[in-house]
Amino acid sequence: MNDLVDKPSVAPTTTAAAVEIRNLSFSYGSSQALKDITLDLTENEVTAFIGPSGCGKSTLLRCINRMNDEIIGTRVTQGEILVKGVNIHHPSVDVVKLRRDVGMVFQKSNPFPSSIFENVAFGLRMRGERNKSVIAQTVEESLKAAALWDEVKDRLHESALGLSGGQQQRLCIARTIAVKPLVVLMDEPCSALDPIATAKVEELIWQLKHHYTFVIVTHNMQQAARVSDRTAFFYMGEMVEFSATKRIFSNPRVRKTEEYITGRFG
Amino acid sequence: MGIVGSFRDAHFLAKHRQSNSTSPGTMAHEESSPPKPSHRFQRKGFSYERLIKYFFASNAGLTIVILVLIMVFLLKEGLGFFPGYRRELETYRIAGLEFVDISRKNLTAHEQLTSLLNRAYFAEINGKSNREMRRTQEASALFNAFSDRIAPTRDLILNNPQGETDANTGMLATLRANFEKQREKALEKLLPTPHLTAGERRQLIDSLRNRPAEAAEDPPLVTTLAAEFAAAQQKNSEPLQAYRSTIDTFESAGADLGAAIMEMTESVTATKEKLQSADILEKDRKTLLSAASNAKDPAEREKLRSEAEAALAEKPDIDTPIQALLERRPDCIRLHQELKTAAAGIISQIPQSLTESDANRLLKAARNAWPVFLADLDAAPQKINRWKHTDMVPLSDAILSFLTGKDWVTGGEWQDFYGILPLAVGSLMIAIVALVIAIPVGIGSAIYVNQFAARREQALVKPVIEFIQAIPSVVLGFVGILVFGTVLREISVMDSLQWVPGFPIEERLNIFTAGCLLALMSIPTIFSLAEDALNNVPSAYAEASEALGASHVQTTFRVMIPAAFSGILAAILLGFGRVIGETMVVLLVAGNRIKIPDFSAGLGTFFQPTHTLTGIIAQELGEVPLGSVHYRALFVVGILLFVVVLGINATAHHFVNRVKK
Repeated sequence: MNDLVDKPSVAPTTTAAAVEIRNLSFSYGSSQALKDITLDLTENEVTAFIGPSGCGKSTLLRCINRMNDEIIGTRVTQGEILVKGVNIHHPSVDVVKLRRDVGMVFQKSNPFPSSIFENVAFGLRMRGERNKSVIAQTVEESLKAAALWDEVKDRLHESALGLSGGQQQRLCIARTIAVKPLVVLMDEPCSALDPIATAKVEELIWQLKHHYTFVIVTHNMQQAARVSDRTAFFYMGEMVEFSATKRIFSNPRVRKTEEYITGRFG
Repeated sequence: MGIVGSFRDAHFLAKHRQSNSTSPGTMAHEESSPPKPSHRFQRKGFSYERLIKYFFASNAGLTIVILVLIMVFLLKEGLGFFPGYRRELETYRIAGLEFVDISRKNLTAHEQLTSLLNRAYFAEINGKSNREMRRTQEASALFNAFSDRIAPTRDLILNNPQGETDANTGMLATLRANFEKQREKALEKLLPTPHLTAGERRQLIDSLRNRPAEAAEDPPLVTTLAAEFAAAQQKNSEPLQAYRSTIDTFESAGADLGAAIMEMTESVTATKEKLQSADILEKDRKTLLSAASNAKDPAEREKLRSEAEAALAEKPDIDTPIQALLERRPDCIRLHQELKTAAAGIISQIPQSLTESDANRLLKAARNAWPVFLADLDAAPQKINRWKHTDMVPLSDAILSFLTGKDWVTGGEWQDFYGILPLAVGSLMIAIVALVIAIPVGIGSAIYVNQFAARREQALVKPVIEFIQAIPSVVLGFVGILVFGTVLREISVMDSLQWVPGFPIEERLNIFTAGCLLALMSIPTIFSLAEDALNNVPSAYAEASEALGASHVQTTFRVMIPAAFSGILAAILLGFGRVIGETMVVLLVAGNRIKIPDFSAGLGTFFQPTHTLTGIIAQELGEVPLGSVHYRALFVVGILLFVVVLGINATAHHFVNRVKK
């Protein structure tokens, strides 16, 4: 497991894959949502998934920590996903432990109806941490890392529901990184935020990417261009193009990609 | 309802016709719809849709009107209770009944103590003769069951005279053959007799087999065992002779006070009757006078007034009997002091402990009650001297006596008391039992169904639990009486369960049986509402929790249940409201004894019979004279229930609203 603070920053050019997706096909009942996706998520980089609604990008994201397991009638029909070299669909894999390594931030901020402190401490408590000073320290570090500490340090024990939308979303990020995952999945984290709050979250991702591997699903082309190192474009359940962000936005190889990023459909 | 409804419709329509042209909403609506041939007509307000709307509005309005009427009616009937009850308490004082009750209370305490001592005495003897008692009981039970089974054929033989004709003899032979057949059958199935030796049992069975049909006396073994039991009782009572005579002395010590009370009772009852009939006459006179003042015809008015004059009762003479009563004061005080001296001497003669646990418990109860009894006797002279028949009875006394009175006595010859404490305690204790069972079961199954059950289980469990609500409570009630009460009592006499507090159960119908049935009735309420509350927790919470690496159980207990907590609390409260308001089951199953349970029995208290606020209304309302104080008292109980249930529902509502915010 990586460490939040002490880990020496790794050059973003490292190409070690944190997550390898191999020939993945996935279906909801009879309709196929993902078709033969192969993709590597590089460690300490931000990978963006873009594409029109219903193209399967969120489905792929939720496959990586098996959140789709909760939805009845869904299944992986082909292929596999390796996190740190381990096949996550292997019967010996404990999905609860997988989710500790692959955290997730949702589209709509969803703090628990408890205090700010308890929200961040939740993941720690769930894995049996009882030492109060360890919890307090981790909560502080996580809130600082999420650039929220200065705003909430005087009201840690007030309800998290009293925070603004942007603060709530950053709290959800703090809550996710408090358990020190390898990979952080973000499902349109800024879609409900105003531009200033969005900028703060983006800045946060940019700072944190030295310690984590990020995957971000977004509808906002500028956001993908600003925040990500690599971008994957999906269309109708297939991955159309995957390459460095700079390249995809300046010189896409596939025509469909170009049409999408220039706003001709979507 | 139809008339009121259509009246309201017309009213609404008329009102709306005026405001119709100014309402922007309807204008916009009508502009957007294409013009129809009936356009002009619709503008006048006879729109079909509006008619439907007013129909439903009038229905909703009607329910509110009915609710208000119920409240007004309850208050109108109920509030007359307190002045009426005050007058009854005043009569109770003026006539001197209260004075007699000062002494009577002590006499009752004396009787209760005597009974306790007596029960301890017999419990000791029977406990020591336990073996003999069991043996004789088992033998007689076996014999009685056998007799019952052969009774039909035996009766036929006994009812037919000895045959003289051939036909008669033939018939008798057939009857005898039938009898023998039935006897053989009966002998195959006999009750177990664990306390008899194998030889004794064989001897008993043989005697039954060879018993002539006409035999009237018991089999020899049954007689012998009964005699053995009597001998054992005799033998075991010998060491207790001193105790026996102490009890007898104590019992006779109260005789003089009892006789004095009897004499006083006669005179005060007569005074009370006089006062009451004077009250009735006075009331009639007032009715006549008010009729007179309302009468239009002067001749009629004059006639009514003279009738009223004639009805004017002379004031009953109450002073003479009261003076006679007050002259008895020194006498009463002397009797109290004598009783006290006797009682104080006797406590030291009672043995410290007995060998049988049952006997010991009773003896201990008597010993504990003794100082209270002595203190009451001590205080009695002062009370007697201070008592004045002329003291006022304020209205607050009537209210206080209603709310905190420990007696609900009605239709008695002596004095009616309307104290709701025994009823309220009964209701509360039943509710406690019901909730202690229903809360874990209802909420537990809600959690299971909502969080852990597979779809197919959900589809099975939910409708089944909710179906319980559809069972009519009277059906549940008689199932409770016939099955639950009986089975529970039979279980409670089993030897291996005697360590359970309150076992063996004396009364088949008690707080516990009623509580169990009410639990069954409130489980669906609690279950449905708790399940709804869990269902209403946003799925984002569960998702977030699981994405943070919490297991399903952790998510359920750390996120879902805390988030649904207010709703679950509301479910419990509404279940409580349902239990408090339920009538039929408690009326059938609670045992209906109007008495505050004896809390000294510990957990066994829950196996005592009781009565409830709802039960008393259902039971007594049909029999009371309309407009009497008793009738009004039941209304006040109704108001109280109404207020309590309203309060519970309002609190539950408050919690539900908190969830929604």
